[in-house]
Amino acid sequence: MAISKKVILVGHFGVGKTSLIRRFVHQKFSDDYLTTIGVKIDKKVLKVDSMEVTLIIWDIAGETNQAKIPKSYQLGAHGVLYVFDITRPSTYQNLHEQLDYLSGVLPNAPVKVIANKKDLISAEKQEEVLAEIALDGIYTSSAKTGESVEEIFEALAKAMIA
Amino acid sequence: MEQGAAFNQLKKILLEQDREERDELAQKLSELDQQLNQKEKLEVRVDPILKDQEVHLRNNFSHLFGPQITESIRKQIKDSQDEVVEALYPIIGRMIKKYITNEIQKLSEKVDQQMELAFSWEGWKIRIKAWFSGTPQKEVMLSKLIEPKIEEIFVIERDSGILMGSFSRSESVDQDMVAGMLTAIKAFVEDAFTSEKQELESIDYENYKIVLKSFKSFFLAVVTSGGMSMAFRDKLDDQLIDFADKVLKNARSETEEPEEDKLSGRLAEFFNEFENGDK
Repeated sequence: MAISKKVILVGHFGVGKTSLIRRFVHQKFSDDYLTTIGVKIDKKVLKVDSMEVTLIIWDIAGETNQAKIPKSYQLGAHGVLYVFDITRPSTYQNLHEQLDYLSGVLPNAPVKVIANKKDLISAEKQEEVLAEIALDGIYTSSAKTGESVEEIFEALAKAMIA
Repeated sequence: MEQGAAFNQLKKILLEQDREERDELAQKLSELDQQLNQKEKLEVRVDPILKDQEVHLRNNFSHLFGPQITESIRKQIKDSQDEVVEALYPIIGRMIKKYITNEIQKLSEKVDQQMELAFSWEGWKIRIKAWFSGTPQKEVMLSKLIEPKIEEIFVIERDSGILMGSFSRSESVDQDMVAGMLTAIKAFVEDAFTSEKQELESIDYENYKIVLKSFKSFFLAVVTSGGMSMAFRDKLDDQLIDFADKVLKNARSETEEPEEDKLSGRLAEFFNEFENGDK
């Protein structure tokens, strides 16, 4: 059985949304930073519990406030990946507020929160930041090393078809 | 004894009238009882009154119940907006299109009249060619244009941009991604450049044109090549509305998520017939 799902990646600019997709879809990484304009679409097919799940991934340009993103980009999403940069407090300081907003727009879509760029920070500092945020189920990842990237998308795919 | 007889006589005289009145009342009561409890008799009495009321109601119906009916219709539409829009969309779309087509037809006839009057070299060339070939002047002019052709059709879920079905002559690009990008472009244009709720209807690039037809929960994107004449656009519009009405609605009612392969098959059937001129 095959099924298609729309996944949106949101978060502040420069947190590594495009890099995560690039890593997940093309198994590549580049240190060059090119800001996303508007939205970019990518696709990857995953096999989840004998089901073929086609993820249509919407890489939405970074915004400090999700309310500024055109709602039409968010509507119809079956799953959300909220990405922040674990080294930049400004990208997670309003995290709870942003997650509340997203669950208002997409009440039925599972949301996974990703603390990206873990390769740039020590394990102790990482623990400190996660404790400060105080939110269960945050994934830590690195688009550069590829750590946890596949696992996060798989977890979201499972949650979407559950 | 005499006194008793006299008293009875007096009583009889005094109560005679009362007794007569009582008997009369009992008689009337019995008649009334019959009128109320015997259907035939009641009908004779009540029918004229009901008829009068019926005429009164018929003459004053809108005045008496108009506001309540309007209010309940308004409430019903408000409460079931999705169903009403889904039901009315194809009908209203078709009505508006028919009206506009008629107007364009009138305009076209006027232009034709003007052209006939015009004394241009190009006009004379077309006329001469039409005379020699024996074909109408309009057809000669149209044949000068490149024939329009459907290259690809996408049925896309409106908000998510998920591809529900497609028909293509060449499988050159990833259709899921094209569907997503078309949705994003449409969303961007509609958000950025329209103050009121309006729809993006087409995207032009060189010799190609993407015609977009939006419905409540999905939209159709048709990639065409060649010169798009009004007649072709009109025919295509009709076919898209027809397709949405006959195929997509049924597909949605059969299962929650219409199968992509099934829908793509129906698309191919529908639009192959369209190009062959069967529809």
